[in-house]
Formats: sequence, C-alpha cells, structure tokens
Amino acid sequence: MKELINIIKDHIQYRQQILKLAKADLVKTYRGAALGWAWAVIKPAFKIFVYWFAFSIGLRANRDMSGYPFFLWLISGIIPWFYINTMLIQGTACLRKYKYLVTKMKFPISTIPTFVSLSEMIVHIVLMSIVLIIFVAFGYALDLYALQLLFYLLLMFIFFNVWGLFSSMIAAISKDFLNLVKSLVTALFWLSGVLWDVNTISIPWLQKFLMLNPVTLIVNGYRDCLIYKVGFWEHPKRLIYFAIELVIMLVLALWSYRKLRKEVPDVL
Amino acid sequence: MSQKVITFKKVTKTYKLFKSDKKRLLHIFFKKIKYKEKKAVDNVSFSIKKGEAVAIFGRNGAGKSTILKMITGVTFPTEGEIEVNGRVSALLELTSGFDPEFTGRENIYLKGQILGIKDSEIAELEKDIVNFAELEEYIDQPIRTYSSGMKARLGFSINVNIKPEILIVDEALSVGDESFKEKCVKKINEIIKKEDVTLLFVTHTTPTAMEFCKRGMVMNKGKVVFDGEIKEAVNKYKSIIKGAKK
Repeated sequence: MKELINIIKDHIQYRQQILKLAKADLVKTYRGAALGWAWAVIKPAFKIFVYWFAFSIGLRANRDMSGYPFFLWLISGIIPWFYINTMLIQGTACLRKYKYLVTKMKFPISTIPTFVSLSEMIVHIVLMSIVLIIFVAFGYALDLYALQLLFYLLLMFIFFNVWGLFSSMIAAISKDFLNLVKSLVTALFWLSGVLWDVNTISIPWLQKFLMLNPVTLIVNGYRDCLIYKVGFWEHPKRLIYFAIELVIMLVLALWSYRKLRKEVPDVL
Repeated sequence: MSQKVITFKKVTKTYKLFKSDKKRLLHIFFKKIKYKEKKAVDNVSFSIKKGEAVAIFGRNGAGKSTILKMITGVTFPTEGEIEVNGRVSALLELTSGFDPEFTGRENIYLKGQILGIKDSEIAELEKDIVNFAELEEYIDQPIRTYSSGMKARLGFSINVNIKPEILIVDEALSVGDESFKEKCVKKINEIIKKEDVTLLFVTHTTPTAMEFCKRGMVMNKGKVVFDGEIKEAVNKYKSIIKGAKK
C-alpha cells in the first residue's frame, strides 16, 4: 500500500517531466529517418495490408462482419493490438532503454513505463482518428457507441501501464524475461481474437474462457463500439473479471516494485 | 553557515553477487538461491556542512563511487540512514547520462527538465553552458556522434551551470586537455566561493584536491579510515598506496 502511495506521489510530483519525456520518446522514435513521422502510419498500414491480403485473398475470409466489410472489421481491432504489442515489448524493455535515468540521476523509475506508454498512446490516438475517418469515408456514420472508445482506451492504458511497471522491473534484473515476453507475444496475438471473431466460437465455455483474456476484452470492446454496437454495460461479468485481473496485475506490479526498486540501479 | 547538508548514519551498502543473471532472476522467486555478499561501504558515518569542500581519496574499489551514488540518490543503502538537503548535481561518469539520439542542445533541455528546472530558466543558462563546453556547431549534432572528450565537456558544463547546491565531482577532471582542465578548476573555485556550494571531490590526483578542499576523507575497503585536515589526508592516502605496493 505504501508503495502505491509513493508511486502516485512520484507521478504527481514529476507530471511535467513525464509529459516532456513522453514527447522526447516520441520524437526519438521517429526522427532521423528520411520519412520521419510518416513511419508511424506506414508501418501499421503495411502490416494491415499483409493481414488483409492473407485473410481476404489467401484464406478467402472476405465476408462481411455484421454488415461491415472485413477490412473495417480488421482495422478496428488491430489498431488497439498495435498499442498492446508495443507496450508488451517496449513496456518490458523500458528500464533498460532508459538506463541513464535509472543509474545516472535521481529519478522516480516508476514513471518510466508511464511516459513510454503515453508516447505510444499518442500514436494510438492518431491511428484511431484515421480509423474513424476511414469508417466515415466508407459511408458508415459514427454513432453514440463510438463514444465508448474512450472507455476501452482508458482500460487498455491503465492495464498495460501497470503491466509495464511489473514487467520492466523484472526485465531489468534479467534479460531472460524480455526474451520470454517477446516469444509469447506472437502466440498471444493469434490466440486473442485480433484476426478472428471470438463471438462466433460455437463452444460456449471456450468463448467465455477466451473472453477472460484482457487483450480479447479490449480488442472486442473496440469492435463493440464500431461494428457490433454493443454497450459496455451489456456484459457486466466480463468487466468484473477484467477488474479482478487488473487488481492482480497491480498487486504483482507493487510486489516487484517493492522487491526490486533498490536492486535495479545496482544491476542495470 | 553550520547547517548540515549531508549526513550519513552508520551506512552500509552490500552488493549481492550471483553466479549468473539466471540465478538473480530465480532469487526473486526463491530465497534459497545462494549468492555472495560484498560490502562496498561498511558502517560509514559522517556529516558535511553547507559550503564545505571535501575531498575523498581511496584506491579503486574502496567505496568512493558507491558513497557518491548514494548521495545522489541513485542507489540506496542496505542499512543506515542518509540525509541530503539541496539540489545535487553529480558529475558521475561524465560521458554517460545523455540520450545519445538527441543533440547536445536538446540534452541540455532534457536534463534541465528532468531536474525540474523551468524551460525559461534553462534558456537563460543555455548560452553559458554552450559557451563553456566549447562545442560550437557540434552542439546541434546528436550526442552519439560526440567523442568522449566532447561528452565530458558538455556534462561538466551542464552540471556546474545549473546552479547546484551540492556539487559532486567524480574523477571528472581527468578528461579533457590541460587548458580545459584549468578552466574547470577555475569554474569550480568560482562557484564554491560565490554561491556557497558544497563540494565533494573524488580524485586520485592529490594536488588538484588540495586546491579546493580543506577537509579530506580517506577510504579503504569500504571504511572511512581518516577524516580531517587535507594535508594529513593526502599523507594517509599515500601511505595506503605504498602499503598496497609492497
């Protein structure tokens, strides 16, 4: 409990630095390349094209999803996955990436995953805005359900911020952990229903089980807003399970922070 | 004037040494995993008053850098208490602590921002920092293209110009050429005298230390073996080196 209060205090005290560092992180990622900022859009666009090609041309899955073209269904779920993907890997690696903040100056290291996440969140918001524009361009007007995007965005941000705190502490101690996470990310991607619809799974218990996965909940939530038109309050049980998972994640994060805060600067 | 800025109370710092990183990871989950302990700092107590200039001598591995890191707040003591009052500006390993992708100028801002200095204040200091570092047009190039001497100059320049209250200099003057070294010595002298800065100076070159410091501390194997007059400290340090040679 004391750790949680300290972490929150650090965030309040260093709020300006967090914003500045998030900006710096973003600038650093995209500068130095000839196309610069365009890469923030080109990279995901290219990935989307590959998946779209494989699924709709290769596997001929090019059917409408609840009355929406497969392409729109694809982008509405894959954009949040891009953020999750980055947070799983960059969130884990962030203390190593910002080693100089840990070992060369006095700096609250609990805020490092936060500003890394914020910087990625800016990219996510830009990409989501493009998605919304594409929806409108395809002739599908946005309705009130689209407002829920903010709710799911917040859930995603909080959950993976807490994840980042937990995983970066462990990864700072051992490189094995980062490799482990990296090798699990692809598996998670294919199991989380980013490219196939969880709602069409015909075995009820399996569907319920899959919805326990926070990634599935968030990706499906984004699609609820844009495609299925389902309110978040319509599945209260899912949200309760998600809340329980968030609390477990938070406990793990606080545990690793308490245990390793003093050790990390000595080993990095 | 006699306000204490740094107080160490029975401070011990123990490093855990594992055979491999794998063992270190396992230790998080299983307490049984064995490791060796190394006491880098062993039951050290001292206090430093505002405006004092203290030199710390000691052979490699005597625990000087660990003490400085604890004052900076980078590492934490295993046992004991540390109190530090004031803005600490540390010249620990001058060549690091920069973001290599950013230019020198951007790093000035970044560092200032991390320390919580307002942008307008940094803008005022910027000119002094750039001039002092003698980097000229290189200031707008990414740090990764800098030589170690250039990084050291910029690091030194930032740290002495951001109006520190406690200045920690760790072997910093061993980099750079003679004329830059002289300039640094002059600058340090200036800020100690004018701005009532507390100085902690770690070095192997005793004559430079005698220029600034009246008090000297000698460390050996994690313990403070002498604390007092600078001349006596230098003699004590020399005798330790001689003893080690035999």
